[in-house]
Amino acid sequence: MTVPLSEEQRDALQELMNISMGQAANALARLINAKITLSIPKIVLVSAGEFQRIFQSTEHWFTRQSFVGLVKGEVLTLLAKDGTNTIGKLLDYQIPMDEVSQEELLLELANILAGACLNVFSAQLGLNTKLSMPTMFSSQMRQAESYRWISTLLLEVEFQLEATPFDSRVVICLEGQSVDTLISRLNQLLED
Amino acid sequence: MDCAALHLQLNNRLPLGVCVLDADYNIKYWNEFFADRTGFNSEQAQGRNLLDIFPAQASYLRKKINSVFVLNNASFSYWEHKPHVFPFSTSRPITGEETLMFQNIEFLPLESEDGAVQSVCLLLQDVTELASYFQAEQALSARLEQEHAELKALNDKLAMAQSQLLQSEKMAAIGQLAAGVAHEINNPIGFISSNLQTMQDYGERLLKLVAFYEKLVGKMGTETSKALQQDMQQRLQFDFVRQDLPELLTESVEGIDRVSAIVKSLKSFSHVDNAEWQSASLVEGLENTLKIAANQLKYKVEIHRDFAADLPEVYCQPMQINQVFLNLLVNASQAMPQGGHLYLRMWSQQDKAYVEIRDTGSGIAPEHLSRLFEPFFTTKPVGSGTGLGLSLSYSIVKKHQGDILVQSEQGVGSRFTIVLPLKPSLDE
Repeated sequence: MTVPLSEEQRDALQELMNISMGQAANALARLINAKITLSIPKIVLVSAGEFQRIFQSTEHWFTRQSFVGLVKGEVLTLLAKDGTNTIGKLLDYQIPMDEVSQEELLLELANILAGACLNVFSAQLGLNTKLSMPTMFSSQMRQAESYRWISTLLLEVEFQLEATPFDSRVVICLEGQSVDTLISRLNQLLED
Repeated sequence: MDCAALHLQLNNRLPLGVCVLDADYNIKYWNEFFADRTGFNSEQAQGRNLLDIFPAQASYLRKKINSVFVLNNASFSYWEHKPHVFPFSTSRPITGEETLMFQNIEFLPLESEDGAVQSVCLLLQDVTELASYFQAEQALSARLEQEHAELKALNDKLAMAQSQLLQSEKMAAIGQLAAGVAHEINNPIGFISSNLQTMQDYGERLLKLVAFYEKLVGKMGTETSKALQQDMQQRLQFDFVRQDLPELLTESVEGIDRVSAIVKSLKSFSHVDNAEWQSASLVEGLENTLKIAANQLKYKVEIHRDFAADLPEVYCQPMQINQVFLNLLVNASQAMPQGGHLYLRMWSQQDKAYVEIRDTGSGIAPEHLSRLFEPFFTTKPVGSGTGLGLSLSYSIVKKHQGDILVQSEQGVGSRFTIVLPLKPSLDE
């Protein structure tokens, strides 16, 4: 199914990611009125075992959110447990938060980050994706063998709220078929 | 029917609330779901501000809607976090146990031709059924968890009771075994003992007879017969036999006496002999026992008495209780071979009498404490203790529905406390 990316394709994808993540960070900064720094987006092909390892962190909450459109997949968001209060304050939550409002905050945050990243990205490629509701995710139960795929393409970016311990990672995972779609779109873009 | 009319009809048939707002929260359109529940139809609602119609929810709605405009990205509201954003009553007014509708809301960006987001669509989903199912499930799981915890506590208690039962079962089984053995060997021991005594008598007579013959030969025999006698006695090592025979028999009689003493202990351990129940003074019993044990105690042990003056009489088997006292006193004295102090205390509390016997002896090793009342358990050298004393005491006290408690520290001493109910309820 998955064709490894050529140098040229990878560069193009990287460029697209840089633009879309920048715009996402920008939008988020406007919403919460705080300065946000972001890492250079990473594009990696991972196996189920490597994927599993991302979710072994005990310092993060995990959320998942699926999307459909020309490409399908899921967005997984890792949110630092440290600093949830700081970001809660910025989003007008009552501090200290009870369990329910903390979950509400985490899902809202995940939705904002995932939506911003995915929307800009898919708009540039004309992929027309729609995100569904996010839910909390715990991967502890799942063994690497239980995943139905062998490898997946991850587009990964890290956001950090300046002057706070809060950080988050957004991982866009593409389903096998969708990787091919993405590559053919990239090729079209490169030919133009 | 044209497409627009079809869409409109579809919109109103959907089991969803649909409401479209502009950037100032003014209503552009809402479907019958909203109309039915607010009393405003779509025309009446048009142009009105949503936040004015629902002032209590204004700040929450504003936040959600703003985020859609800023990020151009859908936003969500879950029933688990905000169950009743719109104050709509339940969809199950007759049979439902909930009064307000549980809602999931999606806030979707709607783009105009130039791509900018100019309106937001609220999609309201009635999830009352799901929510109440979920809540029932959670209540059930909480109840299960509680019941599980209760069961676990009960289980632990059962396990403890079982181990206690096992302990007393073991004692009872050994008691029965002991009674059986005692019964079986009592008869042979009886005739062995009496035969041995007779043999002792016969042996004496035989030796006397030999002595008589020797004298006779000495006085009247020829030199030859004297020499023959000497030769025969030497060959048979008769001098040794003469000396050894009475000793052997005496030892055997002593041995058989010891065996029958053990059998007697075994029999009383299993209560084959029934002693009489009566009201008795424990002080009197202990004093009598002290007299019997005086032989063991005197000269080396200093006795301190502290008996409560108003001690009531206890309904018991006095002889058996005295046996318990004797065992404890003898043990205490054996624990203090170099002498020491013996503290005897007696008092009553509520419907129980307490007898405490404390020594300043060698104490009991911690690993021995748990086996103390086991039959045949002894730390004394082989031959000097039967290992039945304390187990016998234990079974006597248990039969009185009482208890023996032990505290001991090595090198400091031991404290045995006997607890006896003043009036045990006897079912025998």
